[in-house]
Amino acid sequence: MNDINANAIPAASRERPSTAARVGIGGPVGSGKTALLEQLIPRFLARGTDLAVITNDIATKEDAERVRRSGLIAPERVLAVETGACPHSAIREDPTLNMQSADDLDRRFPGLELILIESGGDNLASSFSLDLVDYWLFVIDVAGGDDIPRKRGLGVLSCDLLVINKTDLAPYVRVDLPRMVREANEVRKGKPVLLTNCAIGDGVDAVVEQIAREVLFDR
Amino acid sequence: MLRLTRVLGHATEPQLAETLHRLEHGGTVERLKLSRADTARKRLHAFTDRGTEVGVMLDRSEQLSNGAVLLLEPTRAIVVALEEPQWLALAPRDAAAALELGYFCGNMHWKVRFAGEYLHVSLEGPRETYLERLAHLVANGSISVIGDD
Ligand SMILES: Nc1nc2c(ncn2[C@@H]2O[C@H](COP(=O)(O)OP(=O)(O)OP(=O)(O)O)[C@@H](O)[C@H]2O)c(=O)[nH]1
Ligand SMILES: [Mg+2]
Repeated sequence: MNDINANAIPAASRERPSTAARVGIGGPVGSGKTALLEQLIPRFLARGTDLAVITNDIATKEDAERVRRSGLIAPERVLAVETGACPHSAIREDPTLNMQSADDLDRRFPGLELILIESGGDNLASSFSLDLVDYWLFVIDVAGGDDIPRKRGLGVLSCDLLVINKTDLAPYVRVDLPRMVREANEVRKGKPVLLTNCAIGDGVDAVVEQIAREVLFDR
Repeated sequence: MLRLTRVLGHATEPQLAETLHRLEHGGTVERLKLSRADTARKRLHAFTDRGTEVGVMLDRSEQLSNGAVLLLEPTRAIVVALEEPQWLALAPRDAAAALELGYFCGNMHWKVRFAGEYLHVSLEGPRETYLERLAHLVANGSISVIGDD
């Protein structure tokens, strides 16, 4: 009988797909979604990931302009979607605009491996449609208060990875960080929770590893 | 980790069905258990029922579904097995309660199915989470949960 080597990649699965993985970054207004993007971009580029970015804003291209100006990534790899009134429609009920933008990036950049999609700032109930993304992060921050996980918002409960950002601010806003993490783990029933300080990049390596392990499969 | 980059076919296709049937005897057919929600994903890190670690990475044009064959080797296959969808059956007290319930479920983005006098909510997470959200409607008597005492 054929002895199948567990590490051998069988013929039918050898090639990679021609379209990139899509990862959503959602969360309340000002929690640090763009700051996290700005920390993720150089790390993915450093590990050799072929990357593009889509940002969502209500009526401007503010976040896209900020990422383009940062010089972290070629400006043509950053697209802006203007969502109009309701930021969550564009990632949940009717994600067509974002899907078209992602398709566009797939076409323009053959070999593209990863598209990061930042949603417009919203509330705790926002979530991504799995028609749009393969995996999604929800970014909350300690300055929003340590009771946020306890409030069991849909975003906090159902995201694939919860990121608690601005850990550096805990002492200034009288937040009990260990308790916040404990309660986040409780409501998420074992789904991952990671801590970051996106002002200086603490904890971001672990976010990169998590995304790579869950959707890139390149190592 | 095993990368699975294609849907090779469907377990119901006659030729594949025959091959799978033979493998059930002479080799192994591993099941990749997925929820209905997860089948929308094109990338997925998971384990089969035999503990094989897999990375599913499909083109956007491909679709995971119950019976999708992702690997076919001389002695092994991997087939998607959809976990049965589970439904929470709710009975509104009257028309006003029905309107309120429908509006509420829509607001929650829940997937529903209309079943005559009942509304069925697709459970894509723990049942208790749904009951918690509906607690105010149960408490004021607007709705009752069918199958609960
Ligand atoms: N101290 C501290 N400040 C942070 C951190 N992350 C982000 N900030 C600051 O928080 C503010 C909001 O950050 P953004 O990255 O713009 O937040 P956002 O979630 O993209 O905001 P919207 O897109 O408008 O919803 C900015 O002033 C950031 O500099 C952090 O980890 N620590
Ligand atoms: Mg932003």
